[in-house]
Amino acid sequence: MSMLAPAMLIARKDLKVEARTKDVLTSVGLFGLLVVVAASFSFPTTGEGRQGVAAGMLWMAFLFAALLGLGRSFALEKEEGCMEGLMASPAPREPIFLGKLFANLIFTGLAEIAIIPISIMLLQLEPGNGIWLLLGVTALGTLGLLTVGSLFAAMAVNTRTREAILPILVIPVAIPLLIASVKATEVALLGKGIGDAMQWILLLAFYTGTFLFVALFTFPYVLEE
Amino acid sequence: MSQTIEQVEMQDPGVQGWRTQKLWGVLTLVSMAVLMYMALVWAPEDSVQGAPQRIFYIHVPSAWIAFLAFFVVFVCSIAVLVTGDRKWDDRAVSSAEVGVVFTTAVLISGPLWAKPIWGVYWSWDPRLTSSFILWLIYLSYLALRSYVPDPARRARFSAVLGIVGFVDVPIIYFSVRWWRALHPGYVIQPGKVDMPGSMVLTLMVGLLAFTFLYLFLLGLRLQNQRLQNANERKGLE
Repeated sequence: MSMLAPAMLIARKDLKVEARTKDVLTSVGLFGLLVVVAASFSFPTTGEGRQGVAAGMLWMAFLFAALLGLGRSFALEKEEGCMEGLMASPAPREPIFLGKLFANLIFTGLAEIAIIPISIMLLQLEPGNGIWLLLGVTALGTLGLLTVGSLFAAMAVNTRTREAILPILVIPVAIPLLIASVKATEVALLGKGIGDAMQWILLLAFYTGTFLFVALFTFPYVLEE
Repeated sequence: MSQTIEQVEMQDPGVQGWRTQKLWGVLTLVSMAVLMYMALVWAPEDSVQGAPQRIFYIHVPSAWIAFLAFFVVFVCSIAVLVTGDRKWDDRAVSSAEVGVVFTTAVLISGPLWAKPIWGVYWSWDPRLTSSFILWLIYLSYLALRSYVPDPARRARFSAVLGIVGFVDVPIIYFSVRWWRALHPGYVIQPGKVDMPGSMVLTLMVGLLAFTFLYLFLLGLRLQNQRLQNANERKGLE
C-alpha cells in the first residue's frame, strides 16, 4: 500500500474534525497572536535591530502555537481509542505519522498566515520583497519543527503528564532549527534576498530532511504495543 | 525479604561481576592519582593563562566522556528498537545518567576557567553552548523516563529520544558556530596542537583516567539498574 493515500485520509479526518469543532485553529491562532502581543510589550520593538527582535518574536509565537496544536492533535487520538483504531487499520505505521504531520502543517500554517501580517503591521516592519523569503523560511522551518514535534507528541500523550512534557522534549532538540529560522527570518525582514540567508536555509533543509528520515524510521516503534 | 548483591547476581547471569567492577575502580584510583600529580605539579604552568589553564586537564576529559556516554546511549537506543531487549535500555539509561554528570562537570569547569581567562563566566562559545544544549536534551531524556511507568514503553520512547538527541549533536554544533563567530582562545584547533609535549601527555592520561572512571560509574549504575529491575519484578509477582 502506498504511503500517501492513507496519510491523506488521516489528515482529512483531522481536518473534518477541526471543521466541525474549530477547537485547534481558534486556540492555536489566538495563542500565537497573544505571544506576539505579549512580546511586543516585553521587548524593544523600535529602532536599530528591531528586525532581529521581530524575527525572534515571530518564531516564539510559531513555536508555542505549534506545540499547542500538536498536543491537542495527538490528545484527540487518545479519546475513544482512536489510535488503536488507526493501528488496527491495514495501513502501515508511517502514513499515520505523515497524516498527523500534514494535518498539523495545515493548522499551524493557517495560524502563521494570520500571525505574519498582523505582526508586520504591529511591529511596523517593511520586508518588501523579503516577504517571499519570509514565507519560504516559515514553511520550511515549520515543517522541521512539526516533524520533530509530531514524533514527540505521539510519545508525550502516552506519558503520565500527557502533553505537558511536549515542550521539554521538543525545545532542546529544536534549538538548531530555531537558530536557523530566526536568522533567516531576520534576513527576510531586512528586505534582503535569499542569497544572504542561504547558509541558514541549507541548515534548515538538512535538519528537516534528517529528522523526517529519523522520524519515519522510529515512529512505528512509538506506536508499537 | 532483603537480598544481598551476590544473591541477585547469582539469580541474574547478566549481572556484570564485581571482579571487573573492582578492576575499573582500582584503575580509576591509580590513574586519577597520577593525573592529579601530572596536572597540578608535573605539567608546566601555561605562560599566558597561568594556573587556571590546569582546569583543562579535567574539563576536556569530562567533555570527551560526556560525548562518549551519549554515543553509547545512541548505540544502545538503536539496539533497543532493533532487538526489543530490555538490557539495552538498562545500558542506555545508565550511560545517559553518567553522561549528564560529566556534562555538568563540563558546564561547571568551563565557566570557572572562562572567568579569569575571558573575563566572563559564560560566553556563547560553540563548544560550551553545544554542551549546554546536550545537557538539556539528556535531562529531558531522564525526565521523559520518569513519566512513563510501563518499562517496555519507557524503553522504546527513550530510545527514540536517545537517537534523535544524538543525531542532533553535529547540527547543534554547526548552528551555534554559525550563530556566533568563533571566539579567540582556542588552545587546540583541528589539525594543530599548540602545546608542549608534557601538557599533551597529561591530557592523554586525563582522557584515560576519565575513561576508567566512566566504565566504573557505568558498571555501578548498571548494577543499580538491575537491582531496580529485580525489585520491580518482585513487585509485579
